[in-house]
Amino acid sequence: MGMIEVRDLVKQYRGAKTPSVDGVSFGVEKGEFFAFLGPNGAGKTTTISILTTTLAKTSGEVKIAGYDVDKEARRVREKVGIIFQQPSLDPQLTAEQNIRFHACLYGMCGYRPTFKLMPAAYRKRVLDLAEIVGIQDALFKPIKKLSGGMQRKLEIIRSLIHTPDVLFLDEPTQGLDAVSRRGLWEYINDVRNQYGTTVFLTTHYIDEAEKVDTVCIINRGKIAACCSPDEMKRTVQYDPTPKVCLPSLEDAYVEFLNRTGREAA
Amino acid sequence: MSALALTRKKSRLFRELNTVLTVMAREITVFLKSPGTAIMSLAMPLVMMGMIGGNLMQNMAGGLGFEFGQFMLVGMLVNMLFMITSTGMASLVDDHEIDFNQEMLVSPVSRYSLVVGKILGGSFGAIVSMAGTLIVGLIMGNTLPFGKLLLILALSPLMCLSGGALAMIVIGLIKSKKTASMAVMLISMPQMFLSGAIIPIGNSSGVLMILSRLMPMTYCLDLVRAVVYAGTPEYDSVVMFNPVVNFAAIAALTVGCLILGTFFFAQSEKNR
Repeated sequence: MGMIEVRDLVKQYRGAKTPSVDGVSFGVEKGEFFAFLGPNGAGKTTTISILTTTLAKTSGEVKIAGYDVDKEARRVREKVGIIFQQPSLDPQLTAEQNIRFHACLYGMCGYRPTFKLMPAAYRKRVLDLAEIVGIQDALFKPIKKLSGGMQRKLEIIRSLIHTPDVLFLDEPTQGLDAVSRRGLWEYINDVRNQYGTTVFLTTHYIDEAEKVDTVCIINRGKIAACCSPDEMKRTVQYDPTPKVCLPSLEDAYVEFLNRTGREAA
Repeated sequence: MSALALTRKKSRLFRELNTVLTVMAREITVFLKSPGTAIMSLAMPLVMMGMIGGNLMQNMAGGLGFEFGQFMLVGMLVNMLFMITSTGMASLVDDHEIDFNQEMLVSPVSRYSLVVGKILGGSFGAIVSMAGTLIVGLIMGNTLPFGKLLLILALSPLMCLSGGALAMIVIGLIKSKKTASMAVMLISMPQMFLSGAIIPIGNSSGVLMILSRLMPMTYCLDLVRAVVYAGTPEYDSVVMFNPVVNFAAIAALTVGCLILGTFFFAQSEKNR
């Protein structure tokens, strides 16, 4: 049984003439690192929203960890963690208060009015995660006073604190500096190794998808390709003569989109 | 160890109650961090009780068969609970704008717990306004016995839940701040005038009578007045229904509005 099973998924927004996601099917195995790539407006965020139960689909079948997103939405929500594309923090709370809110909603611990009164296990986990992403000094500052990059790091902590089985990362490194990006990926790899977490990534930094198990490209709401990064690189050789070295995934991705765009035209 | 200790299975009931508490605590924290909101909550009674109420007392209070000042004070107390809780519910639109609703809706908890937590949290500001109303009433020479005040305070969560649930029906469907502000007025004003908060409705008839009977605040007010006027000669001229009828009507209307409002809210966020 796959961790994510998507079959003939269609989503057409109200008033839209064409579907944003049009008959998409793919599967992700437990522990797999899966990159869902595509140009702006291709349908990536729409797909993630449906997979995380925050958006209703028009038709098709979606299962997460064997649970149907419509009929067993609560079970699905227990299994997933997400970093949304847009920041979703409460700017009036402090960084730690935002994490506490999330931890309590996930039933990790009972709500207490201050950090000091929260269980020791919670406090340790928050401090450990804050150190990993480098926001320990900003933990008790209001969100309003944090930079965009700091807020992103906080969202990363929040999405991981309940150790989800499937982690959805919708452009997680947008706005992060190079050091933070590297730190984040090292940590996510640690989490994957330690807990066998399945990671579903969308990103416009194609180099971040170099080490994934599967790359799936969505374009104009349809799946254009789904294979390993190496396979994709081989598929889109620029020259008729095979090169000794494979192109980078980004080269292959851009070439692939150009080619499919030309074919569609 | 820490992750395992934290993710240990908690009962469903614990999680839902914890959600109500967490969402409520967030609303209170945000209220306390917004001096403007706190000042408005205290200024509102000055306008409602001091100006509108004071004017009515001076010009319309004769020949009613009961002391209008106390009648209106009770009306204003309940009106404040309804109005401020409804205003608090409009913060759902703010949460939508900052995408915080996504964070709440992706969590594995009941939508009802989220909404009830939101209403109870919003009622904190309403209680502050209620205290403000009492102070203004005191200055105007209208007071209530301490024991009766405690009883009103004990009933206030029910009043807030009722007001918040009613507001959810409209606000659950709204996505813009401007529309939300207008919606709050649309909910509050008819309640204030048709439910008997400041104008007795014992002689209402026709459409106005039907509308007043459909409003949860009518029963909330009547229940509170039944508590305040219990054992007094004015009871029969002030209280319209048996308290049991009031309680049943409040419960039925609140549950109905809560189910409908929460459904609208969840659906409008999910079905785009």
